[in-house]
Amino acid sequence: MNGKGDASLMMYDGDGRGSGSGPDVLIAENLQKFYGPRPALRGLSFTLKAGRILGFLGPNGAGKTTSIRILTTILEPSAGRFEVDGISCDYPDKIRRRIGVLPESFGLPKQMTGIEYVTFFGQLYGLSAKAARSHGLKLLEEVGLGQRTKSLVGTYSHGMRQRVGLARALVNNPAVVFLDEPTLGLDPRGQQELRELVRQIARERNAGVVLCSHLLAEVETVCDDVVIMSSGEVVAAGRVADVIGRAEQNVIRVRVPAASIDESRRALETIPAVRKVEAAGATPGWLRVEVDGGAGEEHTLNNRILDVLIRAEITVLSFEPQGGRLQDVFLNLTAEAIK
Amino acid sequence: MRPAWWVICSRELRDLWIGGKALHLILIYTVLLGIYAFLLASNAEVKLLPLKEMVLEMVRASIMVALFISLLIGADSVSGERERATLEGLLLTPASRRQIVFGKLLAAVSPWPVALAVSIPYWSVLAKGDPVFSQALLWGVVLGTLLAPACAALGMIVSMLCNSNKSSMLVSIGLYLLLLLPTELARPGRNPTAAEVRRAVAYQWVNPWDAASTLLGKTLMNDAPLRDVWVLLVLPVLFTVIVLGLVFLYGNRGVRLEAAAPQRWQLFWARWGHVPGLTTRHD
Repeated sequence: MNGKGDASLMMYDGDGRGSGSGPDVLIAENLQKFYGPRPALRGLSFTLKAGRILGFLGPNGAGKTTSIRILTTILEPSAGRFEVDGISCDYPDKIRRRIGVLPESFGLPKQMTGIEYVTFFGQLYGLSAKAARSHGLKLLEEVGLGQRTKSLVGTYSHGMRQRVGLARALVNNPAVVFLDEPTLGLDPRGQQELRELVRQIARERNAGVVLCSHLLAEVETVCDDVVIMSSGEVVAAGRVADVIGRAEQNVIRVRVPAASIDESRRALETIPAVRKVEAAGATPGWLRVEVDGGAGEEHTLNNRILDVLIRAEITVLSFEPQGGRLQDVFLNLTAEAIK
Repeated sequence: MRPAWWVICSRELRDLWIGGKALHLILIYTVLLGIYAFLLASNAEVKLLPLKEMVLEMVRASIMVALFISLLIGADSVSGERERATLEGLLLTPASRRQIVFGKLLAAVSPWPVALAVSIPYWSVLAKGDPVFSQALLWGVVLGTLLAPACAALGMIVSMLCNSNKSSMLVSIGLYLLLLLPTELARPGRNPTAAEVRRAVAYQWVNPWDAASTLLGKTLMNDAPLRDVWVLLVLPVLFTVIVLGLVFLYGNRGVRLEAAAPQRWQLFWARWGHVPGLTTRHD
């Protein structure tokens, strides 16, 4: 699948489904960036509505960070325009008042306490010292640092640093929050807690969230919408489920014990709707089953496949019905774009 | 509600003075000044120096070292934040680049009043009640207050142009030596030749450090009135105005995540790299 020339991919408009059905808080139109003659971004367009979470995906060098830096007014686009909460990119100072950003790698002044750090940023957004401090305490409580407000940030763990960064990003009650790899380097529990915080930001603050991540499972579980970029271009955009569905129609992935691979293949090939069965992925035991799909027949076929395997007394370790995973979509699309 | 530059300046002051490098540099300054004052006052050979000359040497040293501290702090202000990855957070706030520059500049100048407060007792002790002390105080305050912002701004400009703190410091120290060394080396002796005098006069018109140093010499040693020496103030004032103007003009573009100068070099080399025969192309 190639996103080039497909207008629906080039200008995706979040449809207001689910919890977020608010106004457009972020509109990007044909954003481009060149470093000298080298293009870093070639026509980024998308829309994000309030209360929704947009996953921003792409391999290294795809243009994600450049896009984020343009949208957060750190860089100027070479062409194109964008709006944040109705404010045109011609007014970067006003845009900065309406966004919150957690950069991928950010430093913290080691000799400041958590509350001093958040208070400092609150003051830069125009709050008085007293109001900034009181607001900062609430935010630190919200991100789970209520017990460590007076500790020096130099003593914080990586997870706590991410949380204090998140509190800073929320200090101005932003309409759009940009999170660049927020769970990178966190342990599984930390990742889970931070994901929940991200959901809270979208749900309770009704902010649009742009989440850059390399963890595709994370994007799949947290995000409503997704934009996949490769070599500076958008190769897919839409609701997460739609994007997953677009990539590999009529493919089912089944995992069985490695010793039962041949037996499983023989059993599955007896089903008339099965076109092809082949080993999939590097992990032994995975089978990729291509089927003849018809509208509304997916569930019947899924049951039939499971039934055949169970009757053949083959243990089914995993079963991923049609649509596959975001990871497959990502790998397919980015591989095509690189070709 | 406080303006953004004030908030930034407050944070910088706190970082610099609470266990930060300004405190350490001022402590070193105090010790060095103490040693120098002791040597001037007690060393048998230099004791032969007239009292006024001793005070002059002390004032010169105090100002030059204090200016060096401001220069170093200015040189760390932007490239240091780049290295510590704290600049992006600041750039993402509504504070304008000029407000950031102004806040940081004020903080970088802050060692000067402290250094002055540390120096005055030494000047007083060396002057031993001589009226030269009041001249030293007047011109020390005037010249230091004039040149400290210029030094801090010079360091900041270099800092905006460098991605690493190391290169920022090296370039700043190089510039400082470039200004200071001719002043020291070209200083005429007790019986200067005509060529030495011509060279010294020429330096006064191109080097603000030299102009300031000469002005100090004339006022402290010869009790020269203002009408005779005001012309020597022109260059330091001009230098300060130009450097401050540059830091605010360039600050709008220079305070950014990556320094512009290395990028320009990369573009330059990229362009030359495309000249056939110079490098291999990997298309």
